[in-house]
Amino acid sequence: MSMFEIQKNYTMKLFNYIIGLGLVTLLSSSSVFAQTDIINVGVRMQKASGLYWENGLDFEYSNKSILNDKLFFGFSYISSRLGTAINSNAIKQDNYILSARYYTRKDKQLRPFSKFNIGYFSADYGSEIFDVLDNTSVLASLEFGLSYTFIKKLKLFSSFGYNFISGDGMNGPGTLYPIFIQSTISWNLKS
Amino acid sequence: MKKLFTLLTLVCITACSDQPLIEDSYLDSDLTMAASIYLPEDYLISYANPNPTELESVKPVFIACHGYSATTFEWDEFKVWSEETDSYYISQVLLGGHGSNYEDFRASSWRDWQMSIIEEYERLVIAGYTNINFVASSTSCPLILELLATDFFNNHLAPKNIMLIDPMVIPSDKTLPLIGLIGPMLGYIDSGNTTDEDEYWYHFRPQETLQELYAISKIARKALEDGIKLPSDCSLKVYKSIQDPTTDPVGAVLIYNGIKTAQNSPIDVEMIDSDLHVYTRLNLRATISEKDISNQLNTFTDFIERTN
Repeated sequence: MSMFEIQKNYTMKLFNYIIGLGLVTLLSSSSVFAQTDIINVGVRMQKASGLYWENGLDFEYSNKSILNDKLFFGFSYISSRLGTAINSNAIKQDNYILSARYYTRKDKQLRPFSKFNIGYFSADYGSEIFDVLDNTSVLASLEFGLSYTFIKKLKLFSSFGYNFISGDGMNGPGTLYPIFIQSTISWNLKS
Repeated sequence: MKKLFTLLTLVCITACSDQPLIEDSYLDSDLTMAASIYLPEDYLISYANPNPTELESVKPVFIACHGYSATTFEWDEFKVWSEETDSYYISQVLLGGHGSNYEDFRASSWRDWQMSIIEEYERLVIAGYTNINFVASSTSCPLILELLATDFFNNHLAPKNIMLIDPMVIPSDKTLPLIGLIGPMLGYIDSGNTTDEDEYWYHFRPQETLQELYAISKIARKALEDGIKLPSDCSLKVYKSIQDPTTDPVGAVLIYNGIKTAQNSPIDVEMIDSDLHVYTRLNLRATISEKDISNQLNTFTDFIERTN
């Protein structure tokens, strides 16, 4: 492994750590938020059609004054490191996603939603031999799905998604697939 | 997104089609057949020389295996390039279900495709050949990876070298995993081959065979995720075009990460500066460059050096 790769891995781990620490600090400090703020935190499980499970964390924020509880903004980190690559030789890849989710059917138990994601994808190929291949990409995807509220604070989101940018053998990371399904179990921390 | 729309449009247009219109000149027809079916002695060493002398039995034999919907034609150039030498043999295997007609192809499974490789290997071993090597392109690669993953060679004489060209582990067309869903509506896919290519490749690709193609590539990928160890005294090298419209170059990463030698060392990988799928076959290409010719020559030379 080259010095550049070691430095890159170290930077990515530090970045993940800072984001995690920042979010935990932010969420545990309730005084930061206004009375009308809504905070959800959850676990996201995503499966690319024909490839890996990539799992991770999901955070969502909204304010009751924004479109009357219909628009949420979020951040997700999902990785094959927490999915197929556990105890296997699958490629370790990370997705950093910023999202905007729009709901319909306010106050109903079952709510359809659409979600737009943008973000950054990075795959670790593990050897300099593969430096000639693309291993990073911008992410841009759309999701359509349903959310279901089990109890007041616990929700399940399931959706079908399409990545507008994916690898096609000529360009882009080869393990970035276009079609995916995902489920997120989310807990309402503040509402 | 464009690809998905094209696919969905294709589904809508061909949803009611059953049989393709097969012209007599197509390999798919009953009138055209790969020569290796009726002249096996011209292609298979086990037929051409079933009783080798002691000197002949230790010469390297390359079992050359082609890709999905292709024929032995894919390795003809290696044979022509090797014509001047008698220091090694090339045995060109025709995969099961290939080279005959559309219905035979449609009825074949990946196990049928693989069986031709196993049969030639076993015939060579029984005949007494001891220096057996594989050169495999595209879909033949996962067929051989499956043999490694299931320890087939533990009960047989192990091959000395396995050389994989543009292996099909991850398809470039990422809609292939949907073939089980949309395949039955499609029926078949028109390859768009040229007239010259129609003599050596099937023009129509039955959806059943595309499902088999996806199945064997998935089996190989899963096996690589779990890890494969090579038999003793066996080496493996991957040669991969860095741009490939058929098999994604990232497949080379999966093979590199997934296979170790018997001594737990990494395997060899060479990334080739090419945008051709199976860059070792240049015949019938619309255009070829000096670089393509050089890539082919270097790889053929490397095959020979690895067996010395």
